[in-house]
Amino acid sequence: MPELMENILNHLSNESYSLYSCALVSRHWCKMSIPTLWRDPFSFNQKPMFISRYFSFLSDDDKFILNECGITVDFPNTLFNYAKFLKVLDLSLLDDKVQEWIDSQIINLQKHISKYDIFNLLFKLFIESGAILTKLDVHLTDVIIESEVFYSLGRNNLFFSRLQDISVEVATELFGIGEAITLLRILARNTTKINTLKLNILNNESLMYRAVANIIKSQNQLKRFDLICETELHKEFYCIVSALESQRKSLQEIKIWNCDYSAEFEVLMKCENLKVVRIIDCFEEKKLLNILNTSLYNINTLEISSYAINAPDIMQILERSGLLLQRLKVYSEDHEICSQSILLDTLITFCPNIMYLYISYVKFSSQLLKLINCLQKLQFLTLVWINDGSEEEMKERVMQLAKLLPQSLQYLNLGDIWVNSHIDILLNHCEAPLKKLLFSINYDNDYEKTIDALIRFCIRKKSLNDVNVSRYVNKTTYVFRFRISSVSNTNWKRVQKDLEGFVNLVPYESIVVDC
Amino acid sequence: VKLTSSEGTEFIIDRKVAEKSVLLKNMLEDVGESDMAIPLPNVTGPILNKVIDYCTHHRDDPFVSQEDDSKKVSDDIDDWDAEFCKVDQGTLFELILSANYLDIKPLLDLTCKTVANMIKGKTPDEIRKTFNITNDFTPEEEEHVRKENEWCEER
Repeated sequence: MPELMENILNHLSNESYSLYSCALVSRHWCKMSIPTLWRDPFSFNQKPMFISRYFSFLSDDDKFILNECGITVDFPNTLFNYAKFLKVLDLSLLDDKVQEWIDSQIINLQKHISKYDIFNLLFKLFIESGAILTKLDVHLTDVIIESEVFYSLGRNNLFFSRLQDISVEVATELFGIGEAITLLRILARNTTKINTLKLNILNNESLMYRAVANIIKSQNQLKRFDLICETELHKEFYCIVSALESQRKSLQEIKIWNCDYSAEFEVLMKCENLKVVRIIDCFEEKKLLNILNTSLYNINTLEISSYAINAPDIMQILERSGLLLQRLKVYSEDHEICSQSILLDTLITFCPNIMYLYISYVKFSSQLLKLINCLQKLQFLTLVWINDGSEEEMKERVMQLAKLLPQSLQYLNLGDIWVNSHIDILLNHCEAPLKKLLFSINYDNDYEKTIDALIRFCIRKKSLNDVNVSRYVNKTTYVFRFRISSVSNTNWKRVQKDLEGFVNLVPYESIVVDC
Repeated sequence: VKLTSSEGTEFIIDRKVAEKSVLLKNMLEDVGESDMAIPLPNVTGPILNKVIDYCTHHRDDPFVSQEDDSKKVSDDIDDWDAEFCKVDQGTLFELILSANYLDIKPLLDLTCKTVANMIKGKTPDEIRKTFNITNDFTPEEEEHVRKENEWCEER
């Protein structure tokens, strides 16, 4: 069945080589895999030599422009109209890859060709070839979109009509503000199926705010909404937030990042299906949290990040979410969480179903241990504690923690602890079947015993697949911390060699699990 | 809930387990309480048995909607699931068809992911051997496909 084959191939969508192999298996496999291979070719790491394959479908006028510049591709007919298969378009990636392609062709070029000419030729080609996008990333910085592209968009409404996921980034300084607003207005007119909208608005142009608000209002069922903005934006900016009123029944997930509080956010009180809330580095976050306190009862994921978290601000949300809460991140960036015993008590009493917990910074207290003991469904744990006892007391608590870790735990991240986390003691006493582990070590003092403990844990539990080791250096007054992958190759190779055959040493980015 | 496989074998399972299948969930909601067995003419007994094993193991997992497929990557199969998929190719393909028919998205994704992992990193010839496929390209056609997509060869 073709749709099942498509499902299988979709799992290979990041694997250009595997898809290429599939295309060469047989005629049927070729027909099935080529559309997947060409769905999002700009995201692959390879040099963008595929760009020339698109040229055979350019109009004669456009081919003439390329010929004039000495791009002497003879435009042979290709087996497929590859442009038609495009589903994912990131305009800044298109911009980068076109530049890379021009750089690779430089010896053939007889006269200068601007990357914007090719950018616009390709953009127009995608629109006119019958492609129907599902995902679009628009980074409005210095990209110049020509009027011919807008003309094509006007005649090909289907191009944007099935978009489900849009990301719009508007820079502070924008060269083509008029073009940007035109593009946003077309998006508002031609889309109704967007379920994920991510906005990063740094510009103070009120016409643009209204165009974005209209995109929100045009959708049938917006489910996820991310808003990253700049402080002190023009008051009219908040019409974007007010527009969420139209999505109050469908909105399930919201992320508010770096925003000033404004009364328009009270619209969130009406969003009865909101399940995931992320408030990150917002000013006057207490007021935002108050809105949530008075309204929502169905939150299963809560992420609060701030330079200093005050536990009483989130206590009521936690109480109300109670049994429903499954994922929680409380990240106090610069200061220890204020009134943390209230936070821990609330979690112990009301939230036993948490399966993802990230908590930073807290004292390594007996109350923290009691919380871990209560969370019997915990699968992912990130702890950043500060030492508040003697060396011997800390060792004793680490041992207790190791014994309390539940059997459900598969991911443990202690990599952000900047002091000695006594990971060797933890590994020696841990019975949880960990699959992924992140920790930091001091190479000068702890290396041998830590690696030994890690190897013994691998042999004993046989569960650990991946590990990330970062490094901290204790000086008399400072603690330095580095991700090992970005520091010394020698250290990386040393750890890799010592762990070979026991566990994979992997970069931070490929192991870390977000809330 | 009573289910009957294509050969007429009867299975009795908890409603919660049955409801992992969107097809059965909708049927049960439409019909209400009933002692009548639900016939599943497209699923054989041994395959239905496997499907029930899967649904029982995952009975408490949260519901995954059709739209939550933005992150399809073929690694990250947990140990129980990996063990569950250690079956011969015929069984694996029948499980895919049954998961599709019964509308059990996590099982469909798991089985498709398993097949994708069998393809990953292989050459065309290795894929042909794995799935017993005949190469029906003419040499010219094959060369044409190769040339137009040779940019993928850079790994």
